[in-house]
Amino acid sequence: MHTMLQQWALYLPDYLKGVGMTLELTGAALLVALVFGFILALARLSKIRVLDWAATGYVEIIRAIPVLILLFICYYSLAQAGLKLSGPVAAIVGLGGFYAALYGEIFRGAILGVDRGQREAAEALGMPRSVAMRKVILPQAFFAILPPATNQLSNLIKDTSLVFTIAVADIMFQANSALSQNFLPLDMLLLAGVIYFLFYLILSKFLARWELNVQRRRS
Amino acid sequence: MSNDVVVSARNMTKRFGNTLVFKDVSLDVHKSEVVAIVGPSGAGKSTFIRCINRLHPFDEGTLELLGHRLTGGKAKVPRAVLQDIHTRVGMVFQTFNLFPHLTVIENIMLAPMEVKKMPRAEARERAMALLEMVGLPHKRDIYPKRLSGGEQQRVAICRALAMEPEIMLFDEPTSMLDPELVGEVLGAIQRLAREGMTMLLVTHEMAFAKEVADTVVIMADHEIAEMGPACEVLESPKTERAQQFLSRVLKPEQAADDFVAARTASQGGDR
Amino acid sequence: MHVALHYLGVYGVGALKDIALTIVSTILSIILGVLAAAGRLYGPKALQIAIAWYVEIIRGLPAILQLFIIYFGFDQIGIHFSPLMAALIWLVAYGVGYAVEIFRAGLMDVAQGQREASAALGLSPSTTMRKIVFPQALVAMLPPLTSFVVLQLKNTTLLYLVGFADVMYEARLGVDATNQAGPLYVMAAVVYLIISLVIGRIGMRMERRAAAYR
Repeated sequence: MHTMLQQWALYLPDYLKGVGMTLELTGAALLVALVFGFILALARLSKIRVLDWAATGYVEIIRAIPVLILLFICYYSLAQAGLKLSGPVAAIVGLGGFYAALYGEIFRGAILGVDRGQREAAEALGMPRSVAMRKVILPQAFFAILPPATNQLSNLIKDTSLVFTIAVADIMFQANSALSQNFLPLDMLLLAGVIYFLFYLILSKFLARWELNVQRRRS
Repeated sequence: MSNDVVVSARNMTKRFGNTLVFKDVSLDVHKSEVVAIVGPSGAGKSTFIRCINRLHPFDEGTLELLGHRLTGGKAKVPRAVLQDIHTRVGMVFQTFNLFPHLTVIENIMLAPMEVKKMPRAEARERAMALLEMVGLPHKRDIYPKRLSGGEQQRVAICRALAMEPEIMLFDEPTSMLDPELVGEVLGAIQRLAREGMTMLLVTHEMAFAKEVADTVVIMADHEIAEMGPACEVLESPKTERAQQFLSRVLKPEQAADDFVAARTASQGGDR
Repeated sequence: MHVALHYLGVYGVGALKDIALTIVSTILSIILGVLAAAGRLYGPKALQIAIAWYVEIIRGLPAILQLFIIYFGFDQIGIHFSPLMAALIWLVAYGVGYAVEIFRAGLMDVAQGQREASAALGLSPSTTMRKIVFPQALVAMLPPLTSFVVLQLKNTTLLYLVGFADVMYEARLGVDATNQAGPLYVMAAVVYLIISLVIGRIGMRMERRAAAYR
């Protein structure tokens, strides 16, 4: 126990650098996923058939492919095809692209979930579709989005742990390099576990409570 | 009307946490008597009849039914007693609660086969007879989702009757139904009443209560406001609370006037 | 392109291993998951809390970290697993964490009115569970169970990192040998895509059959 804490203290600065990288990747990938996901949702809801098909195809295919392979394709396969992305950029593209499919489905579900009566009421008042979307549908959909979106964010953070395989220096990468120096894999992996679990607790407990408060204030 | 009492409630009181649901309810139901419980929403009517077949426990008072004596409070009712009560008391719910994964006839056959170990063929025959009675024999192999509300409730009545209960409890059986479907369910209940079934019925249908019930109980503000022979209570209520309630449900336009008057008064009436 | 074709055979063998592991771990996870869900809902308080925390830890830690702790971490305290053993233990440990929640949510999804109606008819709690609650819960559980199987399949991609010779492992070896990262990784993606779609199709068919009454 004593030596474990000593080792933790010794490597903590490295881990903190990894935390920085993990958070940056998460933030950037989340941004990509939200923007691209919203576009995908609109495309799937659009009346233009081709857009709907393209977006549906993208979502169905990407969701069925393991994240690790997507990362490898973004990093190694694209490089062979002449598009060389740095590790972090490949990670952001891979994770962002994957989570865009998931966020797109969340957005689509939330928009469809808004009561039909709301749409009809907006139409009956003579609002154009875009105004109805902005002023009536989206504000209501927003609160249906929060819980699943938070849930996926917590999955995204966990999935960033795969980027060490494409040489990005995140928490997991630091843990691996530490354990190859001191040959104490359990101790070093547990430290990473503590950090990831803290992220998870913050997201699942505090955000869940905040959401509950928001919802309570609205009802 | 015979004189043997089958349900006897004495000073029953029920709370959910700190919220009072009803207090001091005392009531006797005789064999073949039809008791209708009416009153404003939130008066504790539904919870009261759920306490009678012990779907909910109650906190104070005693309840005697079918030879069992239950007391309020934490004490657990023995499983065998509970089982006996549930087997001999039938219940029909406001929301029907048919089993969605079973067909109409399977819904009716399940309890006799599982609880009374009735052979399948016999259970089937009896279920068909019940469906004939409510006019739905052609729906026997359909899932409940495909039925109208009125049909679902008639099946739910069959399901309860299949256990040959000695007492039937109805918890607002028509309040979830479209107006044009209310009649078919009330018809089935009325028929039971004529055949001498002992019934407790929570309802909002005043005209029906007057026609079918021997006794009417008006519950308001968590207690019994008035109780007596149906015509007497509904036509010339004695207590002020009962009069108030009845004037509201029987003369809606009067209630609207009262509402306007009350609002004008509360705004100071200075216009 | 023809380079990739040489790898079709080894990919096939690797895929079969992934499929076998997915099936075995799913079955074990479901059995243990049902027991754990029962404990979580109806067991003694201490057991409920223990299972709740187990679920939190499995859901809170990255998959790869869990696998590494079992394979590399346990090695530090003298417990050594073969790659296959570590893979199986991890997939089941992970699967149980998710299966518990699927079963719990499924059982709680059944309306309270169903239990009341069943009790009012005199059906015993065990009959109520068998005849009323479980058949309905199963229908609610099928969609998440399908996603769960796909998740387990995708989790097998991580196993090459502990030296388990599956599709990913062969892909890595192939890339090292031929430098053909493009076709080889895309082909791995296609293998997983096809298996995922097949699982999804099977799940959908089961759902349609089970939910005929809805």
